[in-house]
Amino acid sequence: MVDAPSPSTGPAKLLETSHARRVVFVVGSGRSGTSTMAGSLQSLGMHVPQPEVLADETNPKGFGEPQWVVDLHDELLNRCNVAVSDARPNAWFDAGRLNNIEPIRKRLHAWLEEQFTEEQHELVVKDPRLAWFLPIWRAAAMRCDARPGYVTMLRPVTEVVGSKQRAHDARANEVNRTAAWVNLMLGCERSTRGEDRAFVRYHDLLDDWTVPVFELGQAFDLDAVKSAAANDIRRVHQYIDPSLRSAPVTWDDLDVPRRLREIAQELWVQLEKLPGGEGDNAETHEALDQIRAAYTDMYDEAAAMSQSTSLAARRAGIREGERNAPRGVDRLPHWVRALFPGWLRRGLRKAAGRERS
Amino acid sequence: MSPLRGSDIPCLEGDPAYDVRWPWQDGRLPPGLTCVFRVKNEARNLPWVLPPMFRAVQQVVLVDNLSDDGTAEVAQRVAEECGAADRFRVFTYPHQVSRAGSEHLATRHDSVHSLTHFYNWSFSQVRTAYSMKWDGDMVLTREGVAVLDDLSWQLEDTSAVVAIPRHPLSIESESVAWLDLGFKFLEPWVYPMGPEFTFVKAFEWEVREFPETSRRIVAPEGLCVELKWLDQDEFAHWSAMDFDASRAPRKKREWQVYSALMEGKGEQVPGLVRVEAPPGVHVIDHVTDTWLRTAERPLVRRGRPIEA
Repeated sequence: MVDAPSPSTGPAKLLETSHARRVVFVVGSGRSGTSTMAGSLQSLGMHVPQPEVLADETNPKGFGEPQWVVDLHDELLNRCNVAVSDARPNAWFDAGRLNNIEPIRKRLHAWLEEQFTEEQHELVVKDPRLAWFLPIWRAAAMRCDARPGYVTMLRPVTEVVGSKQRAHDARANEVNRTAAWVNLMLGCERSTRGEDRAFVRYHDLLDDWTVPVFELGQAFDLDAVKSAAANDIRRVHQYIDPSLRSAPVTWDDLDVPRRLREIAQELWVQLEKLPGGEGDNAETHEALDQIRAAYTDMYDEAAAMSQSTSLAARRAGIREGERNAPRGVDRLPHWVRALFPGWLRRGLRKAAGRERS
Repeated sequence: MSPLRGSDIPCLEGDPAYDVRWPWQDGRLPPGLTCVFRVKNEARNLPWVLPPMFRAVQQVVLVDNLSDDGTAEVAQRVAEECGAADRFRVFTYPHQVSRAGSEHLATRHDSVHSLTHFYNWSFSQVRTAYSMKWDGDMVLTREGVAVLDDLSWQLEDTSAVVAIPRHPLSIESESVAWLDLGFKFLEPWVYPMGPEFTFVKAFEWEVREFPETSRRIVAPEGLCVELKWLDQDEFAHWSAMDFDASRAPRKKREWQVYSALMEGKGEQVPGLVRVEAPPGVHVIDHVTDTWLRTAERPLVRRGRPIEA
């Protein structure tokens, strides 16, 4: 038997000096306090890459979302055919595939690297679409030698669905939004497992933000939080809007099938164990894995049952595409058509029975 | 001796302990990714190979084939040090396995001496829905751990196959190594478990089948290196050295690199990069933790892909 060498511990020491770079990713379902969390960290001195998405009536104090990040995520979602709010368990695979495309990894890395400066070494990145692409962000942080931390905001699904119903057009029904919440939260939890992470209850943030934010600063070793001055603290108090506290919405207020409601409720029970860190253990992970398997089974059954609907929609989409597709010579770019003399084009149009009036 | 009832691939030699019984016949396999190592004398490499793998996947199976360097003991020790002993299982495969190349070609697929049967038997020990073939000399980088960790759950409920590029790393000393970025070595490593994803015999070695309808993912570069120690014979498991470049281009390239390095002509091989670690850091750690992470992409610029 040979003496097996032990791997050196050197590289960890080498990286120590640059671990002052931090990037906090704020994830969770929309309307669950992600903007409030990002805005609080920003008020304390963390840097939200500029420019930001402008505030609107649904979020008058601002979103804390870098416009570049939102644009990129929209592009990526379109590319992998995943919606911001997507109930399909396989959507994680579809979005995850993009993590294997080096030009995307490189692009994100280059942008993130540009955001770090001598003055701004602690960043906060937030976007409701972020959860789908955490692996690419993780790789970018790794290449920037920045230590990533993940904050997942927790708010009861009934309030998220109810809240969304008030904020947006009720286009999607409560069932689909509940399912999308289940899928998103399962994915958020699974993709941050084993990483530096924290779970923060929306209500805890509104009740007394100093407790969860202080814990975050300690857990992620954030200078901005640990060395916050009185004025920084005042800014957060001014930023957090007490009017966000609203009357609780319960299952009695929603029309959701029993099985989905049970899965969503059990998921909430398990997620509730995660804040504080003590419940972030193998037992909870096992329970969450079982919920993910149960949800996938239920979704697959529902998809199989509704296959006729999806096939009909697909047929309709194909017909619509055929109707709108350019025909014949119209497929040629204008500059190609312009290569032919006018008399020839007119003659060809006449022969094809498509003379212009 | 007749095969035991219930065996899916009875072995030619009639030893029921080495018949293949597929786990999916007993019911649906739970989610998760199992890494399967089939190893012989990898005690030197496993302290680098196993720790990142334990961080990346849920289960690890190691099948030891006639090692005489304490491979199984080292593996068990590393698993315990990593706190992963409960996710780690060691098996012994006590049959001499034909070497890749002409020996393999001359061996029946269902013989315990066949690479094909060895692989099928090894993978029949998997108890999760996805499995991954991995070599005992392949070390994941930090990015590699993150990518596999994500895939290990994102692949659930899909039938996708994942190919991962690897970069041969020839170790000259504790502080100097040569990274081969001249060719893209690409091979599918991650597969679902099921009857459509079993091993069959090819000319030089085994191949794993998968349906044409399977979606295929090619992972980015820089996720793993394959250790080659210049102070030991890396080609001992081959039965012929006259590689046919059209049938085994990967081996041909490895032989070219190895020969050049042994002659002190590494600088003359296009795409071969000399890496020197800072003092006090082993070059393997330096390459997998720092060098590859910070190297400019693409890593392999002009090399054509070589697929197994």
